[in-house]
This record gives sequence, structure tokens and C-alpha cells, in this order.
Amino acid sequence: MKNRTYHSILISKGTSRLRRLVSFFTRSWFFFITSISIFAVFLIILFVAKDALPYFHLRGIGEFFTSIKWYPASEPPEFGVLPIIFGSILVTILSTLISVPLALFSAFSLSDILPFSVRQVVKPIIEIIAAIPSVAYGFFALVIFAPFLQRSGGHLLGIGVWMIGMPLFGVIIIILGQAISGKFISSRSKISDFIIYSVLIVPAFHILYKLFKTLSAIKIESGTNAFNVSIILAIMALPTIVSVAEDVLFAAGREIREGSYALGATRAETLLKVVVPAVKSGIFAAVILGIMRALGETMVVWMASGNAAQIPDPIYNIMEPIRTLTATIAGDMGEADHVTGSARYHVLFAMALFLLIFSFAGNLISEWIMSRSRKKWGK
Amino acid sequence: MDLRSRKLLDKTFSGMGFFSIGMLMLSLIIILAPIFIKGTGAFLFKGTIEFRKFNFEQFNRGKKTDLLKEEFKTGEARKYIYDLISKFEEQIEKDDIPDAYKYEDELEETIYHIKELLGPFPGEESPVMMRDRYGASRWDKAKEIRDRILFVETWDYSDKSSMGKLTLTPRINNFRGTILENMFPYLENNLDKLMLPQITFYWNFFFDKSFDSHLFGGIGPELLGTLYLILGTMIFAIPIGIITAIYLTEFAKPGKIINFINISISTLAGVPSIVFGLFGLAFFIMTIKVSNSKSVLAGSLTLALLVLPTIIRASEEALKSVPLTYKEAALSLGAGKIYTIFKVILPAALPGILTGIVISMGRAAGETAPIIFTAAVSVGNPLKLFETLSQPTPALSWNIYNLVTEHESVESIRHVQFGMVFALVLLVLLLNLTAIILRARISKKLRG
Repeated sequence: MKNRTYHSILISKGTSRLRRLVSFFTRSWFFFITSISIFAVFLIILFVAKDALPYFHLRGIGEFFTSIKWYPASEPPEFGVLPIIFGSILVTILSTLISVPLALFSAFSLSDILPFSVRQVVKPIIEIIAAIPSVAYGFFALVIFAPFLQRSGGHLLGIGVWMIGMPLFGVIIIILGQAISGKFISSRSKISDFIIYSVLIVPAFHILYKLFKTLSAIKIESGTNAFNVSIILAIMALPTIVSVAEDVLFAAGREIREGSYALGATRAETLLKVVVPAVKSGIFAAVILGIMRALGETMVVWMASGNAAQIPDPIYNIMEPIRTLTATIAGDMGEADHVTGSARYHVLFAMALFLLIFSFAGNLISEWIMSRSRKKWGK
Repeated sequence: MDLRSRKLLDKTFSGMGFFSIGMLMLSLIIILAPIFIKGTGAFLFKGTIEFRKFNFEQFNRGKKTDLLKEEFKTGEARKYIYDLISKFEEQIEKDDIPDAYKYEDELEETIYHIKELLGPFPGEESPVMMRDRYGASRWDKAKEIRDRILFVETWDYSDKSSMGKLTLTPRINNFRGTILENMFPYLENNLDKLMLPQITFYWNFFFDKSFDSHLFGGIGPELLGTLYLILGTMIFAIPIGIITAIYLTEFAKPGKIINFINISISTLAGVPSIVFGLFGLAFFIMTIKVSNSKSVLAGSLTLALLVLPTIIRASEEALKSVPLTYKEAALSLGAGKIYTIFKVILPAALPGILTGIVISMGRAAGETAPIIFTAAVSVGNPLKLFETLSQPTPALSWNIYNLVTEHESVESIRHVQFGMVFALVLLVLLLNLTAIILRARISKKLRG
């Protein structure tokens, strides 16, 4: 009896060695499994590059980046990817322009303005926006949004003018009015302010109304165009930017905010002049991640961009159909995969390589920035 | 700047914040509302007798006696139309009416539309195509077809600057003075007697296979395919993801290698989904040949790589949030490291890990681009479990694309498209809701 108790407490030399061996093997096995992620990244680069290089052997590099003729199926084929790259860049920039202001202000609200209880409701909603499958967004863009744009796209643009113009002009008026009254009026009163503001509001409204009129009159010929896609992509990129930016803003901590408030700054001043400058690199990283999301998105652009490999005429005409890299890969692969080995097959891999390089660069930059800011805030 | 203006600017700033949040919510509602409302129409609608006939003949659903009674009733109502047409045809043949030849084309078109509405004429042998065998099975479609019978659509393209203008002229004008004139008001007033609409809850929509390129039936194979893909993805992704997370949190020492692994994982997370598709084709199918061509297996492997970063990151967070005291207590009781990890730390972190898994299940269900070249086909039968190793499958996400853009008559199957989007979005939302609830419970627990 005594012996047994003794035995079970003290691990014998043999078991200990076995244990160490098991531990070693588990450890190695776990490391092997972990390195699957590394292998995957390498294999992806390797296989995309392997199938991309034959294209450049066959056709050279010049045509890919300079020609604007994309006729892969004609005889002889032409592989001018320039308009497609242009299309990708166009929708990415447009969607970024729409999503970044919205996302940043949402992040400000979530981190500083909204009360805690409202935040608890908004966060899941943002998650849901991120979770909706891209094909559902594409379906919405094609079946509901495109006919709407065709029918009354001008009015939508008109409303957009008011939505962007009102706050913008509001801020301008306040600052201008301030400058004017500071310069010319020695004793200020509510009445003098009121007069100055109302004098400024009239031309502002006039400008907005003129803009509204011109934009409302625009007739959109095809609802499947760069504008449609950009709006949907902007919505899809929102959650990424909002959640990363909100994390970054939150990580800045209470101390610098409290310091700023103690000096008498308002909330807007605290955020814009103290918090944001402190975490600007993190916010930049958030924006990059949003851009990557828009650039890599396939289904929405494939379904709703019109898939016309052309540079819009004039170049800023966002109401024209365009075609993007992702959509071209998705759309042409079905036809190209029975001609494996032809330039038509390999050009798609060349495009994928191009996309891959872009997304790697974006990711590495944002990763680097984030790790730097983590170090800075000691997290 | 004085205080009043600064406060005003501050209020503007807050206002813009609220506005942005409002826009966020609004866009979600604008996107989801039509999908849910019209999606419901795919399985909750007014079905006509043709729908019940289809359901009885294909699936043996419903009572035969009821159907026969209904068929008798509609047969009575329809007889008037058939009689008029056959009489009119006779008159044309016998040249009883002036300029009989004039009516021939017009009559043919009218009969075509009537067959669309009511199915084949009595006495006619059953057509080969399913779409010719039954009339309008949905009441909304029936009304559309009625309008097509009553009015002739003509498009005016003379104005080149804008799109064609649609004008509707009553078809009855073409048959003025003939006996067929009576048919149009009859059709207009008695459509419900001809079709017997009834509110139908067609829950089998989600399980039935489709007939005649989705003009009839449900979305069963697609739903099943999506479930297979989720399952397959998870089989590969969960073990790899969790083990990686365990290694990163419990075994690895901070250093270059860990940084490198971390960078690889976030790079993997940033690869565009379409590139995953190309990679799946080039690697899993063309190089290591997991199957001869597209298969659920190849698609699952591709999707597993895609969701791997999500699972790793979520599991890592969950493992890190397990209090250190748990581990210390276990180790001090003499448990080995592996025993501690699997029996103490992992169970404590399980809800957090589950959250990540559930979210990535949603992603696997919704992703389309990676499965285009690796797993998805447009038309297919439901697969048996072992067939997933070698066979491609229809899947909700791919078939939504396919039905919206490549179907022969996109407009006539709108309800099926909406039904599919509804099913997919609902599936993904339910998964995410589970994740949200799980997370709420965890944070409650952590707060005590």
C-alpha cells in the first residue's frame, strides 16, 4: 500500500523520458501544422507565378501594360490589360473616396461619441454588413440597384450633393463667419452673428441647388457601371475600415483624451487634433485594408460593372461600364481552361500575379504600420 | 475662435458621426429588406391549380380527390375559352369570316400565351418540356401572362437618343367583330376561376430539386452543396487552425520565426478570393490531382485555406484570454503541458474558438470566387456523401450568379433567384447571430 502511493507521486525516470519524447513529437507536429500557413502563401505565389510567366514569354511585357485592346478570343488575340487595370483602379479609388469618410466618422462615433449601450447594438450590425456574402451584394447591385440607377440615378446624385454639401458648407460657413466677424466687427452679438451667417448661407444654398439641378438632370444609360459597383464596394469595405480604425482609436487610451479635455478642447478638437494625429498611421493601415478589400472583390464587379474592357470616355465618366482584373479572371477562366497552355490562359494568371503583388504590398505595409503602432502604445 | 463657434463645430462633428452610423444602418436595411421580402415570396405565395398539379404529379403531394375536384372546376371555367378558340379556328378553316388569313398569326400568338397560362389544351398529348406541361403555377405570374394576352406590347425605337418606348394596345382590337372578341373580357374577369389561387406555403422549396432549369421546383441540391462545402471546409480548417493557434500561443517563443508565421497568416488573409480560386485549380486539381476535375473536395481544400486566418486569429484571441491562473493551477497539480492544454486551456477557450469557427462557416458558405474553378457547377443532382470526393456540386453562391446572369430567361425565375439569395443570406446571418450571442455570453462571463 505504502509503496503504491509513493510510486504514483514520484514519476519514474522512464516515464519522464517518454513524456519528454511525446512532448517533443507533439511540439514538432504542431510546428509542422503551423507552417502550413507559410507553405500555403509560398505555394500560392509559386503556382500563380509559374503559370503567369509563360504569358510574358509568349507575348512580352509591353502589350500587357500599354495596349488598350482586350480581344483575347479573336484571331490574332490582343491582350491589352491597361483598360482592365484602369477599371480596377477606378472602382477602388471611387469606393475608397465614398467609404473612408463614412467609415472614419463611424469609427469616431463608436469610439468617442455614442453611449456604450448604442455601441453594443451598432457593432453587431457592422459585423453583419461584413458577413453578407459578396454574391448577395452583387445580386443587389445587379437586380435592384442597377435598374434603380437607370430609372432615377440623377436624383440619387442630387441627394448625394445635399448629403455631402450640407455638412461641408456648414463647416465652411462657421469658419468663414468667424473670420469675418473677428475682422470687421469689434463688439459681437448674437444678432451680428446671425446676420453674417444668413448672408453666407444664401450663396451656399444657391451653389448647392445649382449642383443639385445639374446632377439631377443626368440620365444614366446603363445601370451596370463603375458608379454602381463603387457604391456597393464602399459598403463592403466599410466594416473593415470601421473596425480597424475603431480599435486603433480605442488603443490610444484615455490619458491623452483627458489631457486634451482638461486643456479646454471640445470633443471634435480632441479627436481631430490630438487623438487622430497620434494614431494616424493606424488609421492609414485601416484605410489600406479597406482598399485591399475593394481591389480584391470579385462577385460584385463581375455582376454589376458591365464588364466592358474600355477606358471611359471622357476618362472621369464614372457612369460607363468598366471591367476589372478580378472579374476578368473569373469570367474568362471558364472559357480559357480548355485551352490550357495558351496565352489566353496564362494572361489570367499574369493578372492574378499583378493583383497578388498589390495585395501583398498593401498587407505588408499595413502590418508593418500596425506593429509599429502596437509598439508605440505598448500593446 | 470663440467658444460658441467651437461648440457649433463640435456639434457638426458629432452630427456627422451620427449621420455616418445612420447611413451604415440604412444601407444594411436597404440591402436586406428587398432580399427578405421578395425572398419570402419564393416559398410563401399564391399558388394556382397548376402548382398543385405539378406538386401532385412530381412529388405525390396533396390529395388526389381535392385535385380532381379543382380540376373539374377549372375545367368548366376553361371550357368557354377552349370552345371559343376551336370555333374560331373552324371558321378560319372554312373561310366563314372575311379576310380569315389575317387572323392566323395573331391567333397563333394568342394561343401561345394561353398555353403559357393554362398549360396544354385538353386532349393534347403531354409535352416533353416541363415548362409546356404546366401553366402558370404562381398567381403573380398568371396575372402577368393575362396582361400579355390582353395587351400587345410594341416597342418604339424611333427616338434614337433615348431607350425604346413601350406602348400597350388591347389585343381585343385585332379580333373585333369575331367570336373571339368575347374571350378577352371573360379572361379578364374570371382569372381566379381559371387558376384557383390559394395561399401556399411551399417549405419544400428549400429541399426539392429543380426541374427544367429552375423554372419549377426548389433549391435542394444547391443548399445541400453549400452544406457539403461548409462541412468539408471545416474538416480541414478547424484542426489546422486550432493547432496553429495553440502552437502560436503556448509553444512558440517570440522571435523571428513567429513574426514570419504571423506575417504569413495576415498575408494569407489578404489574398484576393479569386486568386484562391486560381490557386485551387492550378494546385489541388492540376498538380496534386485530388480529383480529376472540379470536386467538393478540391473546393473545400481551397476554402479551408481562405478561412484559415480567421479561425487562427479567433482561436489565438480566445486562448490568450484564458486566465494564466488556470494554467498555473493545472501545472502545479502535476499535469503535463499537453494535458493542460487539451484538458484545461482548450475547454476554457472553447466558446471563443467556436465564435471564430461559426463566422468562418458563414464565409465558406458565401464565398463564390474560390469555388468557380474548383467545385461549382450550374446544374447537378444532389450528391451522396462519398461522391463529394470526386464530383462537383451546385452551390447557392455560384448558382445565384449563374441564374442571374446566364439563365435563358432571367426575368421569369426572379422568385427562385430571390429565394436562393434569401436562403444564403439567412444561413450566413444565422451563423453570425450565433457568433454574436456566443461572444456576448463570453463577455458576460468575463465580467463576472
